[in-house]
Amino acid sequence: MLWKRISKLRTVLGVLNRKVPSYGRFKPRHFCSVPPVGQGHTIFALSSGRGKCGVAVIRVSGPASAFCLCQLTRMKQGLPPPRTAVLHSISDPNSGELLDRGLLLWFPGPQSFTGEDCAEFHVHGGPAVISAILQALGSLPGLRPAEAGEFTRRAFQAGKLDLTEVEGLGDLIHAETEAQRRQALRQMAGDLGHLYQTWSHTLTRALAHLEAFIDFSEEENIEDGVLNQVDNFVRQLQMEIHSHLHDNRRGERLRSGVHVVIAGEANAGKSSLLNAICQRPAAIVSPIAGTTRDVVETALDIGGFPVLLSDTAGLRDTHDIIEKEGVRRTRERLEQADLTVALLDVVGLLEASNKLTHLLFSFLEDLNVRQKQQCILVLNKIDLLHKKELNDLHCALKKEEDLPTVCWLSCKTGSGIEEFLRVLRAELEILCGNPLLGMPSLTQARHRSHLHKCLEALGLYEYYKRADMALAAEGLRSALASLGRITGKVGAEEILNLIFRDFCIGK
Amino acid sequence: MLPRRFCHCHRARLQFLSTRLIGQNVSGDQYDVIVVGGGHAGTEAAAAAARGGAQTLLVTQKLSTIGTLSCNPSFGGIGKGHLVREVDALDGLCGRLCDQTGIHFKVLNRSKGPAVWGLRAQVDRLLYRSAMQREVCATALLNVREASVEDLMVEDPDASRPGLARVTGVRLGDGAIVLGRAVILTTGTFLSGSLKFGTSSVPGGRLGEAPSVGLSLSLSELGFTKGRLKTGTPPRIRKESVNFDKLEVHHGDERPVPFSFMNAEVAIEPSQQLLCHLTYTTPGVEDVVRDTLAANDHVQQDTKGPRYCPSIESKVLRFPGRAHQVWLEPEGLNSELIYPQGLSMTMPVEAQVALLRHIPGLEAADIAAAGYGVQYDYLDPRQLHPTLETRKVQGLFMAGQINGTTGYEEAAAQGIVAGINAFLHTRSLPPFTISRTEGYIGVLIDDLTSLGVTEPYRMFTSRAEFRTILRPDNADQRLTERAYHQTGCISGARVVTARHIASRLSEGISLLKSLCLSSYRWKQLLPEVGISQERSGHMSAFDVLQYRGVTLDALAAVFPQDLVPFLDLSDRIQVEALYEPHAEQQKLDMEQVRRDEQLVLPTDLDYLHLPASLSIEAREVLHRHRPPTIAAASRLPGVTPAAIMHLLYFLRASGQQKEAGGPLVER
Repeated sequence: MLWKRISKLRTVLGVLNRKVPSYGRFKPRHFCSVPPVGQGHTIFALSSGRGKCGVAVIRVSGPASAFCLCQLTRMKQGLPPPRTAVLHSISDPNSGELLDRGLLLWFPGPQSFTGEDCAEFHVHGGPAVISAILQALGSLPGLRPAEAGEFTRRAFQAGKLDLTEVEGLGDLIHAETEAQRRQALRQMAGDLGHLYQTWSHTLTRALAHLEAFIDFSEEENIEDGVLNQVDNFVRQLQMEIHSHLHDNRRGERLRSGVHVVIAGEANAGKSSLLNAICQRPAAIVSPIAGTTRDVVETALDIGGFPVLLSDTAGLRDTHDIIEKEGVRRTRERLEQADLTVALLDVVGLLEASNKLTHLLFSFLEDLNVRQKQQCILVLNKIDLLHKKELNDLHCALKKEEDLPTVCWLSCKTGSGIEEFLRVLRAELEILCGNPLLGMPSLTQARHRSHLHKCLEALGLYEYYKRADMALAAEGLRSALASLGRITGKVGAEEILNLIFRDFCIGK
Repeated sequence: MLPRRFCHCHRARLQFLSTRLIGQNVSGDQYDVIVVGGGHAGTEAAAAAARGGAQTLLVTQKLSTIGTLSCNPSFGGIGKGHLVREVDALDGLCGRLCDQTGIHFKVLNRSKGPAVWGLRAQVDRLLYRSAMQREVCATALLNVREASVEDLMVEDPDASRPGLARVTGVRLGDGAIVLGRAVILTTGTFLSGSLKFGTSSVPGGRLGEAPSVGLSLSLSELGFTKGRLKTGTPPRIRKESVNFDKLEVHHGDERPVPFSFMNAEVAIEPSQQLLCHLTYTTPGVEDVVRDTLAANDHVQQDTKGPRYCPSIESKVLRFPGRAHQVWLEPEGLNSELIYPQGLSMTMPVEAQVALLRHIPGLEAADIAAAGYGVQYDYLDPRQLHPTLETRKVQGLFMAGQINGTTGYEEAAAQGIVAGINAFLHTRSLPPFTISRTEGYIGVLIDDLTSLGVTEPYRMFTSRAEFRTILRPDNADQRLTERAYHQTGCISGARVVTARHIASRLSEGISLLKSLCLSSYRWKQLLPEVGISQERSGHMSAFDVLQYRGVTLDALAAVFPQDLVPFLDLSDRIQVEALYEPHAEQQKLDMEQVRRDEQLVLPTDLDYLHLPASLSIEAREVLHRHRPPTIAAASRLPGVTPAAIMHLLYFLRASGQQKEAGGPLVER
């Protein structure tokens, strides 16, 4: 199988030979060839921020970095000088299509960020260019998209980070994984997510049946039909994944932007705040608690950042079936939120002044706020308080360091709204600096790359299924691992559970 | 001190034993290593410690039961055969003894690929036991004593190592104290064991043998967390009462494959092997089970039994309306008994008789000993280091069923690791552990110590991530050399054999790789092999060997001068060629796991109050499982990559690890 892959690669190189005649005379540097897989995976990722950036930086790290520079640029003079920016065209290694012109940087290890060979592509910041280059990278042998925090982890393992740098790393990776998790949740909620889950179940089942056949068929009653069933499962998967990958409609519409959710108790003024932000009556407001029963969603541009703003039903225990459903949807939205605007009626706070902190923290916990950075706490209806009461509350809250940013405002009089918008913009700026956030095409590129790997591994199963079942199972295992990078890991114990559920095994 | 009763021993052995006991134990009752229990874990543990050079004492309730196969008369199987091979690679006993006493050898999974072949042997129960007793007696520095152990002696811990106490010896049933620097508990099902027949229940670890109640109590006093598990055994049937005529016959392999790397062949003549028979349950069996359910306490209680080795009762209840397999296995060359594999049951004896009536071949079966259930205490194996030493008590080791496993092979595998490490402990030498990337033993111990058990744990090949590398054929190449260097518990002869094979294997493989011909020429020479028409350029003989249907013999016909000298290794070379294309990818993944395994977490970390930014969920999971390494931690559900980074940071920052920037290696 491996030589098959390599010979396929040779064909690709052969194509290159024909298209670039001078390539024959020019003696390629030895590292421009595919490094053996044994040296480790090469990873790539978009590492610049999003928002309104003109230039995007794509980083590659690992032994195949030099190879991938050669493949994407077809440089005639070998690699560029180390650590020097060079302007060059970047094209698709398979089709030869020009993707962009940009700056290239070559950092031979160990003098690089990760200690490995690294390359950087500084290209134009449009999503089409970025995703085309990411897909081109993903199609090269030995390359795969980086997991969250993988660059930093490699740097850490190579001893390239000092203690203070490492300190921030856990939080950084947490933020990255959190952003990916939320992104994944949004996608998984749709038809696409459902499709991936179905594939994952089918594949898990296929693997469980094959493993059962390996571990138990000699001494137990495992019906002979099991293998045919596995074959059918695999064939069906191959077909579906293949046609999905070649479907030019590219799946469903993906919702883009930072997800901001306004949430809080009933009648705290959430819809009023939404209207104040939108500067138009997007939602119905009334003094009756429970007016908003469904999620009201508005797409906005705030300070140049694309935002999907959701107004939600107030969280309260209710017997009203419709309102109950509204509360459930609110919780679902909160789970997917990038930023939560937690809204409270300041009058209620005054009444509970003796256990103020407890009240605030349990409120935030109820809203699923995991980190104070992901939240703005808004205290509404300050027009109903006296100046002294307001001052006392101010002082009490100032002492609490673990609270998120607090904004005091009145939707009714409009006081404090400007300040709130300033805070919101600042938060958005931070959020959009995170390259992993909310870029559907990037997620899509990741998915495609993993699905390709999955399909390739299913081929391994087909190749070995009648010759060596351990190798055939290895194909299914790695197919499941690839799919698991989209849908979540499936462990050995789950496979065993399926085996014992489906078969009577009783040696 | 002389053991009081020797009635079960052969006369010659008795003399040998007593001279040894008197001659070597003059300094009083003091040993390096004390092993409690003489089952599969105990014997391997004691022999391994003694091989290393430890003065070792094996204490057992009955000398005559050392090496007893208390359940099925067979060794090995799929996944389990891998374990026997690995125990043998560590110079253990069970593989060699099976080769000596086997009466029916069969490699299971022949058609499924050498990585999952399951070496299996029916052994003669009595021959195996006496061979094991001979082996134990012949091991230098290994002494045995018949006594029950009632209590553990402990003192304040060695302050330089984690632990709340340090073991100093054991107190026997008669009050005598035996001192030891390390103690290994291999008490199997004897900890507060009770036997279940129908609705009645008798204290006991095995039929006719008393349980260890005192020891169970003293383990509780030391603060060990215990759980309860159940298992069962089928009735034994008189051979002459079975009608074999109608049953499916299964022969042993024509060329039996020995378990041990030291043996070129097994003792029995292939043609002399005994037969196994296969029969099936009928609907009548289901009726008997249902009708007698009220009189069957064992099945109804909720103590955890295995999902995969259920009694016939749970099989027909969970999967009704099916015919379930029953293997009729011979118990020995001269035995009058048949072991019905798959018929483990706990119903009253009359019902057992009635049930057998509904199985073809067993209509007139005569029960020699009824089937029964066993319930016993096990200790949560998460309280162990990967060396099988307990975290709480320094020098105290546990191996076998006491850790929640089932099976002789699993017990032997733990026994040998515990024995080696107990010896190293007495010499204050660095511990010897096996990683998941090195062997099934590593998978077994890592699963136990990091995830714990919820049912009796049995080995399956599906538990091993690196299945195509951890094969039965290469266990010696994976383990012997390293164990020889790091432990001293491997005999010279063993390592010489392993080295000889290693050098000839690599010689043979590099020779094959150097024999290159054009693919056109190969197609001419081996027309029946489907070498792809599209292939061009040169191919080595090693590449060609990867094709289906190509054997080393066929290649030797092309290159007789070069290859004929390697024909004795043809099986092994062929397997290497088969898996080589895949090996690179696996080795890459193994490297990642190994790197994480190098990052050792201190055993005394207070996860609940660690000044690191960890979620409450992650803290609780880490606190409960106490993973020994970063690798184990990252396998725990609920531990995120971010949590792992925080742990790494904490380790580095708190100066637990040596210099900044350098590798975080402790092991």
